[in-house]
Amino acid sequence: MSDQAPARDDLVTVTINGTTVQTEKGRLLIDVAEEIGNFIPRFCYHPGMKSVAVCRMCLVNVEGMPKLQPACATPVADGMIANTVSDEAVEAQKGVLELLLINHPLDCPICDRAGECPLQDQTYKHGPGSSRYVEEKRHYEKALDISELVVLDRERCVLCWRCVRFSDEIAGDRFIQLVDRGDGTQILNFTDDPFDSYFSGNTIQICPVGALTSKPYRFVSRPWDLETAPSVCDYCSVGCPLTNETRAGNLVRRQALPNEQVNDFWICDKGRFGYHYVSSEDRLTTPLVRSGEDFEQTGWAQALAVVAGKLKGAANVGVIAGGHLTTEDSYAIGKLARKVIGTKDVDSRIQDAGAPYELAMSLTGVAGSNATIDDLKAASNVVWVGPDPKESLPVLYLHLHTGVRDRNTDLFIVSSSSTSLDIHAAQVTRVAPSAQPAAIEALGDKLEGPTVVCWSPGYAGRDESPTLRAAVALAQKVGGKLLVCPPHAGSQGALDMGLHPALEAGHAVVAEPGRGTRQILQAAADGELDVLLIFGADVVADFPDADLARKALGGKAFVVCVELFSTETALLSDVVFPSAASPEREGTFTNLERRLQKLEPLTKPPGTAREVWKTCAAIASALDEDWGWHGFGDVWTDIKGNVRTHADVDIDKLTQEAPLPHPFDEQGFEGEHPSPLRMSGPGGQYPKGHRSGAPFATGQNWPLSWELRAFEARQRPGYVFPAPEVTEAPAMTSPEAVSEGSFELLSGRLIYDEGAMVSRSAALRGLQPDPFIEINDSDAKRLGIADGDPVIVSGAGNEIAVKARVNGVAEGCVFVPYDQKDCRANRLMSGVDPCVEIRKADA
Amino acid sequence: MPNETLMVMKRLREYPEDSWTLDRYLATDGYNNARKAVADMSSADLIALVKDAGLRGKGGAGFPTGMKWSFVPQDIFPRYVVINHDEGEPGTFKDRELMEKDPHQLIEGIIIAAWAVGANKAFVYCRGEFALGARRLDAAVAEAYRAGYLGTGLFDTDFNLDIVVHRGAGAYICGEESALLDSLEGFRGQPRLKPPFPAIKGLYGQPTVINNTETISTLPHIVGNDAAWFKQWGTEKAPGTKVMSVSGHVNKPGNYEVEYGMSLGDLLQVAGGMIGSKPVKAVIPGGASAPLVTDLNVGMDFESLKEAGTMLGSGAVVFMDDSTCMVRNALLTAHFFEHESCGKCTPCREGTWWKVKVLERIEHGEGRQEDLQLLLDICNSMDGKCFCPLGDASSWAVRSNVKLFWEEFEQHVALGRCPFDDHDEMLVGAHTGRGSGFVGEQNAGVGEEGV
Ligand SMILES: Cc1cc2nc3c(=O)[nH]c(=O)nc-3n(C[C@H](O)[C@H](O)[C@H](O)COP(=O)(O)O)c2cc1C
Ligand code: SF4
Ligand code: SF4
Ligand code: SF4
Ligand code: FES
Repeated sequence: MSDQAPARDDLVTVTINGTTVQTEKGRLLIDVAEEIGNFIPRFCYHPGMKSVAVCRMCLVNVEGMPKLQPACATPVADGMIANTVSDEAVEAQKGVLELLLINHPLDCPICDRAGECPLQDQTYKHGPGSSRYVEEKRHYEKALDISELVVLDRERCVLCWRCVRFSDEIAGDRFIQLVDRGDGTQILNFTDDPFDSYFSGNTIQICPVGALTSKPYRFVSRPWDLETAPSVCDYCSVGCPLTNETRAGNLVRRQALPNEQVNDFWICDKGRFGYHYVSSEDRLTTPLVRSGEDFEQTGWAQALAVVAGKLKGAANVGVIAGGHLTTEDSYAIGKLARKVIGTKDVDSRIQDAGAPYELAMSLTGVAGSNATIDDLKAASNVVWVGPDPKESLPVLYLHLHTGVRDRNTDLFIVSSSSTSLDIHAAQVTRVAPSAQPAAIEALGDKLEGPTVVCWSPGYAGRDESPTLRAAVALAQKVGGKLLVCPPHAGSQGALDMGLHPALEAGHAVVAEPGRGTRQILQAAADGELDVLLIFGADVVADFPDADLARKALGGKAFVVCVELFSTETALLSDVVFPSAASPEREGTFTNLERRLQKLEPLTKPPGTAREVWKTCAAIASALDEDWGWHGFGDVWTDIKGNVRTHADVDIDKLTQEAPLPHPFDEQGFEGEHPSPLRMSGPGGQYPKGHRSGAPFATGQNWPLSWELRAFEARQRPGYVFPAPEVTEAPAMTSPEAVSEGSFELLSGRLIYDEGAMVSRSAALRGLQPDPFIEINDSDAKRLGIADGDPVIVSGAGNEIAVKARVNGVAEGCVFVPYDQKDCRANRLMSGVDPCVEIRKADA
Repeated sequence: MPNETLMVMKRLREYPEDSWTLDRYLATDGYNNARKAVADMSSADLIALVKDAGLRGKGGAGFPTGMKWSFVPQDIFPRYVVINHDEGEPGTFKDRELMEKDPHQLIEGIIIAAWAVGANKAFVYCRGEFALGARRLDAAVAEAYRAGYLGTGLFDTDFNLDIVVHRGAGAYICGEESALLDSLEGFRGQPRLKPPFPAIKGLYGQPTVINNTETISTLPHIVGNDAAWFKQWGTEKAPGTKVMSVSGHVNKPGNYEVEYGMSLGDLLQVAGGMIGSKPVKAVIPGGASAPLVTDLNVGMDFESLKEAGTMLGSGAVVFMDDSTCMVRNALLTAHFFEHESCGKCTPCREGTWWKVKVLERIEHGEGRQEDLQLLLDICNSMDGKCFCPLGDASSWAVRSNVKLFWEEFEQHVALGRCPFDDHDEMLVGAHTGRGSGFVGEQNAGVGEEGV
């Protein structure tokens, strides 16, 4: 919304408690009132979901209406005069609260929610002082485990329907429902099916009482003991903003931060619960230098000297980086590689090795998107090319499937394996990868109106250039935009910073491309490399040819690994530097729509672990190059001066929230109780409520625990890069020959896999499915394999034993999830476009 | 001597032995009015006729039927007609008799309504317990299809109409029109947020007209005559007749079709007067939701009853003599609403629960003086604050019992027991917890005789 809006006919004038305002037609009274400082109490209303008006807490007077109206279901109309604090309204609110409380167990002393509980706070503010209810309360079995992550206490439930609406409207999975009726109405999962949603944690966050609580967080902390900093999820490239929350220095919780341009109000369970890796036993705490079979723990100076010594004499150096590094790390790695060491053999594509992001440049000017998530939401057609986004880009999946129902999007899917979007799609083309380009081209005549073509590098080890070329051509033909979805939180930033053999920072095309991950590893395996630098990448686990990765590390090259954990790759290296995890550091991530968002530090890295950019600067310094980087600001001065796409970034702006639309802070709670505990981070103006440790305030300006509601208003918009001029995509060498075998191997990711961070996050350990593969119905018949049969998959001289699922994979293909427990698909791959054999396991 | 005015109940009174058969229906002018409507009248003519006649809905709210039809948007198809035959209001049993004994009259009414609003499909949502009525209606629908009164090309026009008979599962709330639609669609039967109203966005999101069985059964008579004929009965604002389900301590409980506006006292005479000529203590004039009246001069029409602080509702009239315990009456009513609350909104879900707890204590001798005011306060916290009229209405009924019979409630508290020791068991269920039968034998059980 701009400040000096021109005269518009979609505006209405309303008067609320004597204040007259102009606002957009159709907005809800509850929102408009809040914006001008009249917070109407509520339980069922949530700005991210449709109103149901069931709790009846928000009843207010509207002139001309005989009865009180629920403000959450009353759109403002021109000339409307509302009174939210009339005697009648206040009495009604008191009455509803009294009724809500008669059956409430009032077990605040043992309830996780106490201290940030909307029921508790609204009772203080609007409720009766004591209860007139003397009878026995309604009883249910307490603390019901409804999944590995969520505990349900039906006695505490106020039946606001938020959780079931979320399940239905947003997640689309309906694992929990209302059962029974009347005063026996309860929230429950159905019979034996647990609440196995990938998004279940959102219900905990939006539950206005302690009815849904988080297993990992249960009884861990009190809200007023928490310190919170805004951050960005470090898993996938959607880049959902979230909080990191600590108690006594330990990370104990993450919650979604809203940004209507990115994640609305939601995050997936991987982002929410996948934080225990930060305190994993496996974290590296000091530099390690190999001595024989073992490592010696050393100081930084000593290890740096060893590395500098090796680099000084090296003629051939390869640099490989992973997908979870920040922009600053990636910039530093690129600078170290290209400017200090002087190598062009730099790549950040590991599992997506060879993914031809650079082909997007002929449309977008960058190896990345020109579409935003907002574009995706506004499009009439969305083409999805890639594997199941519910597994790899969970919150993007939410946008995609809700678009079909709520925004009339027509969804076209071109994918070789089945996706969760199939049932929502206007058209699904399920063909082998080689037939995807033709299928994409064929869509050209079907798409009218704004179109976004999404491409996500599908299957590890495959050459996807023809597919992406077709996707780019389709977008070009229909005048649409392209959404390129690299896999991880740091992937796009790494591309932006030139961790790509053909691109320097700022997507400047390198005249003569260097070697990519596959060729670097091959060179190392062939003994042609002197030093191999690996930053945050477990190539043994992640590169789509495990044997090649092992050979590369075992060759004559001196391997330096900068890592969070003692990964297989780290254990095979010669020098290992410990690095800091995302909650421990200041930094930025660039998401798949090329939005730059900021992480604020909250915890301390273990031991002497530090940010990768600091390690890079230290290596440079050991090589007698002083970058003059003394802090985060210096890195950005360097970036802005040297990266054309980033010249205009105002890093301080990233820490600013959108202005708070209502004046609570100025006149209210915060002013009266200056907070002893500041939120961390420069953006730390978050409303503190109870967390300030201040006593309850019962004045007019209370919102207390509605801090999350206020968070909602205070989105940090981040910065979306404008795309530079369109350039011709750099020519890369074509990949090698196809390997032998009768099934094309498609290997895509699952949400819960053996990834370095997920597998070290205790809360998610139990959620991995048993290893499986998927084959097509007719292939299964031919091989005599039934659904659930054990099978052996062999390729690249290795075998894995798994159960087969028979479903809608394209004929002649087998889907093998990438990184399953004891069953790594990359062991079956060698060369590009890997193929495998399948046979029924002997009984 | 006051008398009935027979219109929708005429055939079943005159031919009790076979009033539900097609033969009898055809022999008594059957389907001629539907033919007249479909073949000779335009939709606009029909709507105008029904508006002129001043027909008002007989399901409870008394909304003008012609006006409801005219809300259907001009250009959105398909539309649906839905017949509300859920009849769950305690004391009401009129639709049941109309369906069991004159199903073709209902079908003919449906044809007229469907033609008027441009629907090609109609649904009859039938209360689950009404087995006989549903079977008779099923049979009648089958007969009508065979005889060409349903299906394609009705009355040699290109008008098509199908009727689906759907049996509910026994929830009172499914009589509320939007809950009915959700139930019909296969969801939990709970009221929808309005607007949009069903006439704009109803069944499966399409424009839908919902009318009560009795309302629809009246249509053939209006079409067969004219507005002036219809208006010779009843009051200015409520023309025509109404079937009253009379029960309680009367000599001849049953359904009586009378002119709107007949006095309560006259209605009592029609039903044979009080058993043993005992004095009337209180009357529920319009189903369990309606506040009590004690004045027998009040006219039985929407406006007069509203003036008397109560309502006509569905026309269920329960006379109670002086042997009736009003605490128990309130408790029974409260039980009903507690059991039937759908649980969607806070005031109704929790308020109905609480009222039962308090009333149980009072009736069982554990009441406290402050409970009387508490009951009124709970009613205040509900009235006008609930999501749908069920919850609001549950407060009216209890409130009127407490207010009108305050001393009797106090007496319970003071005595520490119910003063009506061995009164007759008119109000069965009060002690057995969730009793659903309101008037004992009269309305209990469903006849399972064959069609
Ligand atoms: C709780 C509740 C229960 C109702 N039950 C019935 C019912 O059983 N039968 C009925 O016809 N209308 C019932 N109604 C009224 C309907 O919502 C609706 O007004 C009626 O079916 C419209 O038909 P009419 O205009 O022909 O009266 C009920 C309303 C409420 C609020
Ligand atoms: S569990 Fe929580 S979110 Fe769900 S209905 Fe109950 S109170 Fe609302
Ligand atoms: S969708 Fe991606 S970015 Fe968002 S919370 Fe999940 S893993 Fe993190
Ligand atoms: S008042 Fe509320 S709880 Fe009661 S029946 Fe209506 S919607 Fe359901
Ligand atoms: S917030 Fe409006 S009724 Fe619940």
